[in-house]
Amino acid sequence: MKIKVTTIYVDDQDKALRFYTEVLGFAKKVDFSQGPFRWLTVASPEEPDGVELQLARNDNPAAKAYQQAIFQQSQPAIMFFTDDVKGDYERIKTRGAEFTMPPTAVTGSTIAMLKDTCGNLVQLTQLARY
Amino acid sequence: MTNREQYTPGPANGARIIQKDGEQWTLVLVRELRHPPEKVWQALTDPAHLREWAPFDADGSLGAVGATVKLTTVGAPALHVTETTVTRAEAPEVLEYNWGDHDMRWELESLGGGTRLTLWTNIGRRFIAMGAAGWHICFDVLDRLLSAAPIGRMVGGDAVKFGGWQRLHAGYARMFGLETAKNS
Repeated sequence: MKIKVTTIYVDDQDKALRFYTEVLGFAKKVDFSQGPFRWLTVASPEEPDGVELQLARNDNPAAKAYQQAIFQQSQPAIMFFTDDVKGDYERIKTRGAEFTMPPTAVTGSTIAMLKDTCGNLVQLTQLARY
Repeated sequence: MTNREQYTPGPANGARIIQKDGEQWTLVLVRELRHPPEKVWQALTDPAHLREWAPFDADGSLGAVGATVKLTTVGAPALHVTETTVTRAEAPEVLEYNWGDHDMRWELESLGGGTRLTLWTNIGRRFIAMGAAGWHICFDVLDRLLSAAPIGRMVGGDAVKFGGWQRLHAGYARMFGLETAKNS
């Protein structure tokens, strides 16, 4: 058994694909559809065969309520690791993303938080060097 | 299951696009069946029949206007259920409902002793060749079911596994003037 995919709910899959590729810089990995169902994933270009992020359309009312609640509590729905959070912050901001927290030193890491335009907060994490 | 093993889809045919409205296109599929409209109507509306050929399971009959029915996409890698309300049901001629974002319009015309079955449905440009190929296989399965020689439902992964799938998908993509998408 391996962990190969994790899921984030989005309110619009096309908009999410644009954000996660053009703004965050991930690459589309799998995109197929069966009737109203669409399986859409992205992966990091630094790790093309690494964990995939599934962009799942949020048409489940229970998932929607959860998504809205944690968004309102300022909790990230997903977390990505980087080696250069300040550089990523500048690059991603230039591409028009809205940050809710600039790079901020916390215990063991520096974190930043931004909106994914699809109902979620995304946290960027750079672990402190020991 | 010998029939299923021997099955190979024929070439892409009987499909056209009538509307290219941005990303959402309308696919029209026509199939002539050697069975009367009443029999085809039952296969399109009765959950027990749909289960044998359609890409979704229905928890009730689609044969009456106003009926609210849950449609479960079969063969998707995650449970996917959408609810529909039948907006038109004129047996055995016209049937309309939606499958998620897809408007589904079925028309049955009597043709000798058989039926000319036409499906209109809107699909995103990127997936329209995939949809045409999928419905093509479903119609083949339907035809054999109605002929009392069922080969078993083939949807989702079962359909894609087929040797003939890539050829069929590419055939429809060419017919519609599209490139076959990678990773699909």
